[in-house]
Amino acid sequence: MKKIVCLISLFVLLAAGVFAVNYTFKEVPITYDGSDTDVTKLYADPKSYDLSDPDGVADIIVKTNLDKTMAVNDVASVVFDYRGFDTIGESFILLSAIAGSFAILRTRKKGKEEDHEA
Amino acid sequence: MKLKEGIREKNVVVKCGADTFLPFALVFGLCVILLGTISPGGGFQGGVIVASACLLVYLGYGYDTTSKAIKISVLEVNESLGAILYVLLACCGIVFGVRFCENVFYNCGNIGDLISAGTITFMSFSVGYKVLTGIGFLLLLLLSLLGNTDEEEEMEE
Repeated sequence: MKKIVCLISLFVLLAAGVFAVNYTFKEVPITYDGSDTDVTKLYADPKSYDLSDPDGVADIIVKTNLDKTMAVNDVASVVFDYRGFDTIGESFILLSAIAGSFAILRTRKKGKEEDHEA
Repeated sequence: MKLKEGIREKNVVVKCGADTFLPFALVFGLCVILLGTISPGGGFQGGVIVASACLLVYLGYGYDTTSKAIKISVLEVNESLGAILYVLLACCGIVFGVRFCENVFYNCGNIGDLISAGTITFMSFSVGYKVLTGIGFLLLLLLSLLGNTDEEEEMEE
């Protein structure tokens, strides 16, 4: 029974993955992929780089950030608004790391206190 | 052995250096936290800068004074408080009927003001509070091991 459930869930995950890959390849518009650029030429003359119309996610964020979030700093709005879940994960990684180190280092301190009491 | 002796001596130069740079570290770190939404910086970076003040106090005055000045149990509680505050502020979006973590308080000031970004600003503050208490707690925890070894040696002597 366990094996059957495991197989079914794995199959569902595989199907979802295949569907997601198909969907993304269908929906994503063609963005700048780095072809037809001469890096040495760009380094010599950085002002020749076309900044007027960024494409993909950068276009959306740069153009609509002020209307959506009222934050001047684009990075702050990405970290705390668009990617708030990511920040929660980061801060809880820190919390768990501190809890783990506290659990390791506390035992010695506790022994000390017991020694003082005795 | 040399290092321990150097710390126990509490050199005047080190003490004066700690005294001089402690306010700068605190003010600069708090500035990075507060201006996180309108300038480069943010909660994490400013929190770590403020927490480094623990090390300055330790370098100047040793572990005993540090543990008296900064209570380790208070930091422990306040770290969880910062995390809870962040989650509550993020849940504001759900209460007002939009996405989780979305900014809900629009038009709280002109663009470029301190609280013009609404909830983003306060989320940045809470993350900064959480990180400064968390890293400070971690530093004090690690320093307590050094402090205990010093006490052991003194008791043996």
